[in-house]
Amino acid sequence: MNGTGRPGDNQLGESTGDVRVGVYVCHCGGNISDVVDVKALAGLMAEYPHVAVAKEYPFMCSDPGQEIILEDIRANRVNRVVVASCSPTLHETTFRRALQRGGLNPYLYEHVNIREQVSWVHKDDHAAATRKALALVRAGVEKATRLDPLEALRVKAERRVAVIGGGPAGMSAALALAGAGLPVDLFEKGPALGGRLLEMGRVFPTGEEATALARRLAEDVAAQGSIRVHLGGEITRVDGYVGNFEVRVEEGGSQARVKAGALVLATGFDHYLPGAGEFGSGDAARVATLPEFQKALGSLPAGKVLRWRGREIRHLAFLHCVGSRQAEGLNPPQADGKVNDYCSRVCCTAALHAASQVLDRFPGTQVYDCHKDIRTYGRGHEAYYEDAAKKGALFFRYAEDALPEYLPASGLLPARLKFRDVLTWMEEVEVPADLLVLATGVVPRAIKGLVESLKLPVGADRFLQEAHPKLRPVEVANNGIFLAGTCQAPMTLDEACAAAGAAAAKAAQLLSQAEISLDPFVVELKAERCTGCGKCLEECSYSGALKLVDRPLAGLGATPPGPEGLSAAVIAVNEALCKGCGACVAVCEPRALELAGWHLDQFEAMAGAIAAS
Amino acid sequence: MGQAAVVDPELLKAGQGNGKKILILTTLASSYPGANAVGQARLSYSPDTYIFRVPDPVMFPDDFYLQCFDKGFGGILVMSSGSDCPYEGAYQRLSARIARVYLKMKEKGISTRRLKLTTICTVCRAAFLKEIAEMRKAVAGE
Repeated sequence: MNGTGRPGDNQLGESTGDVRVGVYVCHCGGNISDVVDVKALAGLMAEYPHVAVAKEYPFMCSDPGQEIILEDIRANRVNRVVVASCSPTLHETTFRRALQRGGLNPYLYEHVNIREQVSWVHKDDHAAATRKALALVRAGVEKATRLDPLEALRVKAERRVAVIGGGPAGMSAALALAGAGLPVDLFEKGPALGGRLLEMGRVFPTGEEATALARRLAEDVAAQGSIRVHLGGEITRVDGYVGNFEVRVEEGGSQARVKAGALVLATGFDHYLPGAGEFGSGDAARVATLPEFQKALGSLPAGKVLRWRGREIRHLAFLHCVGSRQAEGLNPPQADGKVNDYCSRVCCTAALHAASQVLDRFPGTQVYDCHKDIRTYGRGHEAYYEDAAKKGALFFRYAEDALPEYLPASGLLPARLKFRDVLTWMEEVEVPADLLVLATGVVPRAIKGLVESLKLPVGADRFLQEAHPKLRPVEVANNGIFLAGTCQAPMTLDEACAAAGAAAAKAAQLLSQAEISLDPFVVELKAERCTGCGKCLEECSYSGALKLVDRPLAGLGATPPGPEGLSAAVIAVNEALCKGCGACVAVCEPRALELAGWHLDQFEAMAGAIAAS
Repeated sequence: MGQAAVVDPELLKAGQGNGKKILILTTLASSYPGANAVGQARLSYSPDTYIFRVPDPVMFPDDFYLQCFDKGFGGILVMSSGSDCPYEGAYQRLSARIARVYLKMKEKGISTRRLKLTTICTVCRAAFLKEIAEMRKAVAGE
């Protein structure tokens, strides 16, 4: 370790009282120090206003590295800490905890990224990289001097979870939650539990009857004394916030209110419904969607040739990507003006599973498979492709820039599917189709009421959007709400149940204590500055997060205090409902509203430090 | 580990001078991890770039941008999460705000090419580099 600070000499300058910043520059084992002159950086930072001590060390995140900080908190009265090292996504929490161990508020900490955003991207210019690191660390110190101690928000929580949707994902989530010791209210708008399973044939990869699987799950749910099942009810509204949600449901003519600390949304998906005439849709005797075909297939008696609606099907064609992977200009837009450009992920495997069953049970039926690509991406799913090919299915790959054309039966000619085949160098091919099965995709279910009442984020694909696929999977930005299954994206049954398990685990973890601890990065109010103009209300998307209330002037903290008996309209913040986006901060001219931990004056000072470097 | 970098102190004391610095506002959810992804891939871009991370740039008032130009920044890139934004309506509000800032920039005679609202995701490395390169050109042209 090399210390260039002067213990006890904090160089505080004149303004900020007893602010003593410790600056720690990490070598990251050469990742940083091979490019940035860390000794020069620490040396120059030791001279910067408010810096009590500036040091560099090979690995600040190591135990000895953290011990240096703790020692400076103890011995050198450091009360703000800036670490210049790797990305904060890796070690911000590490150093916050170190501060906590040293008796400092963990939010009196600023992390400066000089690895991913300096040494790794400017490795050919050491002087420029070091200058940039210096400017960034100075900016970090400017921010640190303006940090306030923050306390995690504490919210009392109802130890009960509401699961909305009684399909396989909803039932799986409810069972997992009950297994974790939490009481559950499971809402299913249909007359029975099971959801989409009730309309399927056999499911891959187990080949189990879907209805039997639904029955088994429903029996497991019924056997759990801690799951209350609400069937046939209509959810009219969901209000509240993490720890304190209220679900209103109309059941049998009366309205019930159920309290819950967390919500698991398992509202499922809808099948894409082809438009009139889309690939022959509407000709029920000759064209079926894959879900229709799957449902019927399970109950069709085996024989030499498949029979469909009284007709022998000697030639059966599957057409992939109907309602999925659509392209603008090629496919007609959906109701919202967009095409479904996403992959529905399940149709390829489901179509091949169905093809394989047909070839097993009806050996006299020839199967043609017309695809854009085969995307059997799941573990073991490729086996369905190989299986269908071995059994005699013929595969064609249609050109992406021209949709296949359905030619209805005419005279002696059977109905056909016409397309250009990539596998035969764009040869124009017509395959006979006594029955055409459209492998229709998955579309988001219309849950407008829930989306509006909970202000749920919706992605460009119209599915519910998780906060971050890697950092916060199955969570939405709204605290206490978790996504189970296909309400979030197309996924297989396995994946939907796995997501349900993850959602249940997160909900159970959230409610493991009587009080929920929330990040303090929400809007905070300096009531004495509020003029009651209400501009912030127009900017806030989250119902109830901000509201105007009358407050006695004497209690607003203004200097001098207002006269007794008079009141003024000022903003009140419900911290549990605030999502911390900061939209309101931008329009608050008197700066009565600030985002805790992200104050505007901090950024102004940071920009000033960089500009002056 | 290679040889530790040693830089002539005079080069550091001289500072960076001129008004060609680019301020980049990034989001915690998307563009900040995207900037990290560029580093993880060991790609390079101009060192006159300074990245701030915030929950969402919608928190910055119109005047923040103008003050940054006054302080000497040559350009500002607002790298939003776009349609991946986890905050309801924030992208639309940010977009409207930037449109208002453009009007104020015009009033003050500041080229609107010096401010750009864009969308960068967690893996948008090429787009990240392209935006910086384009802003460098815009700033150099001032």
